[in-house]
Amino acid sequence: MIPDAARLIADALALRADAFLDTLELGRPGLRLGLMVVFLAGLSTAIGQSVTLFAHRVSPRRFAASLLVQALLFVVGFLAWVAATWVVGGTIFDRPRPVVLAFATVGLAHAPQLFGFFVLTPYFGTPIGTVLSVWTLLASVLATAAVFDLTLVEAATCAGLGWLASQLLQRTIGRPIIWIGRAVRRSVAGVDVRTRPLP
Amino acid sequence: MIAFDLGTLVLVACIAFLVAGALAPLETLGWWAGWYGDGVDAADVEHEAATATRVPVAVPPHEHYVVFLSGIHSAASETHSAREAHALEELRSALPEAAVLEVFPYSVTNRALTGERYFSAFWRWLLRAKLSRRRAVKLAGFLINIRNVWQVGVSADRRYGPYYNRGSAQLVVGHLVRRGYPLGGGAPVMLIGYSGGGQVAVGAAPFVKELTGGDVTVVSLGGVLAADPGLLETDRVFHLYGRRDGVQRLGAFFFPGRWPILSYSPWNEARRRGTLRSVLIGPSDHTGAGGYLDANTRAPDGRTYLQITIDVLSAIARGANDELPVATTP
Repeated sequence: MIPDAARLIADALALRADAFLDTLELGRPGLRLGLMVVFLAGLSTAIGQSVTLFAHRVSPRRFAASLLVQALLFVVGFLAWVAATWVVGGTIFDRPRPVVLAFATVGLAHAPQLFGFFVLTPYFGTPIGTVLSVWTLLASVLATAAVFDLTLVEAATCAGLGWLASQLLQRTIGRPIIWIGRAVRRSVAGVDVRTRPLP
Repeated sequence: MIAFDLGTLVLVACIAFLVAGALAPLETLGWWAGWYGDGVDAADVEHEAATATRVPVAVPPHEHYVVFLSGIHSAASETHSAREAHALEELRSALPEAAVLEVFPYSVTNRALTGERYFSAFWRWLLRAKLSRRRAVKLAGFLINIRNVWQVGVSADRRYGPYYNRGSAQLVVGHLVRRGYPLGGGAPVMLIGYSGGGQVAVGAAPFVKELTGGDVTVVSLGGVLAADPGLLETDRVFHLYGRRDGVQRLGAFFFPGRWPILSYSPWNEARRRGTLRSVLIGPSDHTGAGGYLDANTRAPDGRTYLQITIDVLSAIARGANDELPVATTP
């Protein structure tokens, strides 16, 4: 069990900087907590965006498998972004830290996305999704500040540069990984989930 | 201590409301995905459509067909509301040449809340609570309204609306076919959507038109309408409202497509085309005593509020659209 997991998640949701500082002290359990939060957040987000799977009339078994795959791809995207942010933090801001600390704290910062399934809510779903994204962004800035010992503005810059770098990687040397991810999603769902058929 | 408990109660109620909202589209999406077996009435409709196109029907059994989609208080096709039941009797008397049907518009799987469902006993208990004379117990029955409000949201949502509205249309056409509606015969259909049923009627109308091949008129009776794309694909839409009806105004407030500033929304476009008319029919409120279906309260011209409503509905059904018998409002 991860000590104080519920409290840390609650504090992260409340955007308390202590939550991220405390996670730094946890060591390996902190990493487990961070990655677990990211995976569950990915699963919840996948449920929130599952209308396309229903629209394609996928079977319950393919539906469940697709959600799992999307959650895993969410984790991969997270790892790429945090790794890029860690490189930026270590080089541009000259704050070398163990990468696992960045995974643990920024992972915990994804706690707001645990509510991603609320995007299913009729009419209010899209604004809820926007609120969750902004909430996660703010928590991620706090987490970045905690890991690299930066001011909030520096942390926002660091996370932003990390995001830009990860986008650049996805569009260059990361392309084969993107293709593999898409192929796995298509193969598991049995359909191209980037389109949504209408009745 | 009491304040804390009340706060906790409100918080739990808010979370339950949001969770109910997140779960609301699943019935429609599961139905569309075929997780509950075949789509509702799909086989009936397709079979009837195939035979109807081969054998033209010369004389329709009824001159026109009226489908009543109840408000969010309903739990099954047949209304439990004495006012609504009386109003439907009056409508049948006013339109003897028409078939007047009732459809439960808040379940694309055609399952009444009190019917074959896992939690049907719960919904039956809530319905009994709703019909109770004790105010505190009655309040519990309000959960039926909340459940149905979310279904209206599903109909109005751009992501789910096409599936929900298709399912509702199949449900309507299934009921029509069972009442002898000749598919492909061109008999006109009038969908009356009361309150939340108005939005479902607007959403379903284009699909009803496609499946029946008939002329489709939608009448929203105090409907809470979104700027649904169905407004542009329906032959004519009448939004009837009473001067005291604050509920129907919620649509104009909550759905940005209803705001005048978004001039190219389906709502504003349909108004420009003249296919959508908003008609103030009298002084009535949304529901209950003083509501559209009240057979006791009288307008300045001496008619009851129910009579005004029936007069306007039958005038629309008969095509007398230019001079609707509306009442003056004090």
